[in-house]
Amino acid sequence: MTNLKKIYAALALAALATTSSVQAQETIKLGISAPMSGAAAVWGLGMEWAAKQAADKINLEGGLTVAGKKYKYEIVAYDNKYNAAEGTKVAQNLINREKIKYIVGGIGTAPIQALQSLSERSGTLIFISAWGKSVKGPQFPLTFTQSNTPFEILDPLYRYVLAQNPKAKTVAILNANDSSGKEVETVAQKAWAALGIKVLSSNWYERGTTQFQPIAAKLTEQKPDIIDLGVAPPADAGIMLKELGVLGWNGVKVLPVGTSATQLAQIGGAAANGTYMGYAGDYSSALSTPVQQILNQGMLAQYKEPLNPLQVSSYDSVYALKAAMEASNSLDPKKIAAVLPTLIFETSYGKTVFGGKATYDSPQQIQVPVMITQVQDGKMVELIRIVPEELKTRLAAGK
Amino acid sequence: MDIFGQLFLNSLQISAAYILFSLGLTLIFGVMKVVNFAHGEFFGLVLLLIAIIVPWLNSPALPLALTYAAAGAVSILATMACGWFLYHFAFKKFQRDMVGSFVLSVGLSLLMQGLFLEFFGGVPVKLPDLIEGNLHILGGAITTQRLVLTLIALCVAVVMCWLIAATKLGKALRAVSEDHEAAMLQGIPYRRIALYGFLIATFLAAIAGALLAPVTVISANVGSDFLIKGFIAIVIGGLGSIPGSIIGSILIAVIESVGGYYFDPSLATLGMFVITMLVLLVRPKGIMGNG
Repeated sequence: MTNLKKIYAALALAALATTSSVQAQETIKLGISAPMSGAAAVWGLGMEWAAKQAADKINLEGGLTVAGKKYKYEIVAYDNKYNAAEGTKVAQNLINREKIKYIVGGIGTAPIQALQSLSERSGTLIFISAWGKSVKGPQFPLTFTQSNTPFEILDPLYRYVLAQNPKAKTVAILNANDSSGKEVETVAQKAWAALGIKVLSSNWYERGTTQFQPIAAKLTEQKPDIIDLGVAPPADAGIMLKELGVLGWNGVKVLPVGTSATQLAQIGGAAANGTYMGYAGDYSSALSTPVQQILNQGMLAQYKEPLNPLQVSSYDSVYALKAAMEASNSLDPKKIAAVLPTLIFETSYGKTVFGGKATYDSPQQIQVPVMITQVQDGKMVELIRIVPEELKTRLAAGK
Repeated sequence: MDIFGQLFLNSLQISAAYILFSLGLTLIFGVMKVVNFAHGEFFGLVLLLIAIIVPWLNSPALPLALTYAAAGAVSILATMACGWFLYHFAFKKFQRDMVGSFVLSVGLSLLMQGLFLEFFGGVPVKLPDLIEGNLHILGGAITTQRLVLTLIALCVAVVMCWLIAATKLGKALRAVSEDHEAAMLQGIPYRRIALYGFLIATFLAAIAGALLAPVTVISANVGSDFLIKGFIAIVIGGLGSIPGSIIGSILIAVIESVGGYYFDPSLATLGMFVITMLVLLVRPKGIMGNG
């Protein structure tokens, strides 16, 4: 064999090896529909980043095996701008153009409802972090919620806040005027009333609002003991707190959807101090798992923001999907959805399950701890971590 | 807190930003008969550039005011250059073409938003306060820096009105706005005046952005948030009318401020659209519109 022939033979073998490798590892695309720009951008960007970490880790470990065949994951993310119109476009892009059958991250009730109108019909399995109760239940068998929602968070958060501030008797509520805000406001009103707190007013603002002085003046004039900023993202909440501070209001501040202190403190300044949050966790603390600590460091390096539950939910979705694909030994979204509620699977929090049938009539809600945090001197401090009773029971029973 | 004093201060600070923004929009429409949907992106570009330059220049050796001034000057110049480029290679070809310029400006707006997102990222940024502290005036409270920036913005608006009303350039702009063919017959160089009008409008958007930089949250799509309010203002005031854009801006600022207080911000926004529809029903050319 001449040298040239040897080279050709080597190239042919290399090409064959590459082809076999590609065939051995077909790619499964996983979609994300989340805000990647605007006030809530850090949530979507972080969600995409976290999902990529999970996909990369699984791919590096050899991918997943379904029906004897090897697969690897690829993340495809689109910006839904936190509104229904963009959510519809994103749904079309993900499902019809990219032909994606699994969505591992979704933020915003309105864009998720837009996504659902297509995903359930087309047989696409979706993992979401939308807060609305209306997005899951038996009528949506292919939808799973991958992080806590107001139904899991508000009651323990409000109870804790009142235990720390027993003199508080009144609350004023502000929410974004969209599906997420509307659904959360109903639950919040009931939860405050059930705890004996008088709701002085419930107010709405449009996402994209740049001037918060008028509503700050209104809330200050009502002299509430507590102001509940509902689903306001950190950038909006930060401006609102700053305006309240200018007007001299310094009561109890609650931000149920508060995901981190960084942006809140950067924008709100000293006025953000004392804010209670229900949707953040200190993933650098010893309370967190090693996986979460590594992800937290990565997020800080990438976006100068610590990891939050919304972002880490996509990481957990990818692992939940992997577990269910392997357990069902199928790529059929319906078969995967059927097996998901029966599994105990690994996530960044450790072992967990899907439950919540008592609230949603269907076990589609992930069971992870509720973490209550507070902004203190511009930094987030985790005050308490509450593990759901359902998770404790299921893990103890081993099924 | 005296609520009327507070509502007055709120209206004042909100209207200052809208006036600067809508003056540019109405000027472009008046001179070129172009509805410029990319106007918000000039405003956004300045903010985004300042958001990069201020942290880069910021050091204990350099006073913050100087940092902002240097960042503002560079960003305004860069935005003016961008405006000049877009005028020469795009808008100049679609003057007095409502449909063509509409498609062009919407396309440019989307393109620029996409580029901003790509280059600057989507994470909102808040720059450090330029001036610390609050003031209590007429029974209401306002941050010192907002008051200072509002007064500067109002001064710029007054200078601009003087320029339009009393200078040779202003008279040429008004002549072109009223009847460009008649203006050309009088020896006014229409194309040059149109370029000046476009650059002045870009400057107004840029100066509005520079003034708001220390007080607003900066993100890739911040321009589009202001664009809607700017359009409502000039539609109410009368497309192409300078006094109309000022009246429209004050009106929507008052609606936003008073409506936001007595009802809530969402209903105030709804109120703006209702007022717009009523004005268009009663006076389709807007309050001060004449053509």
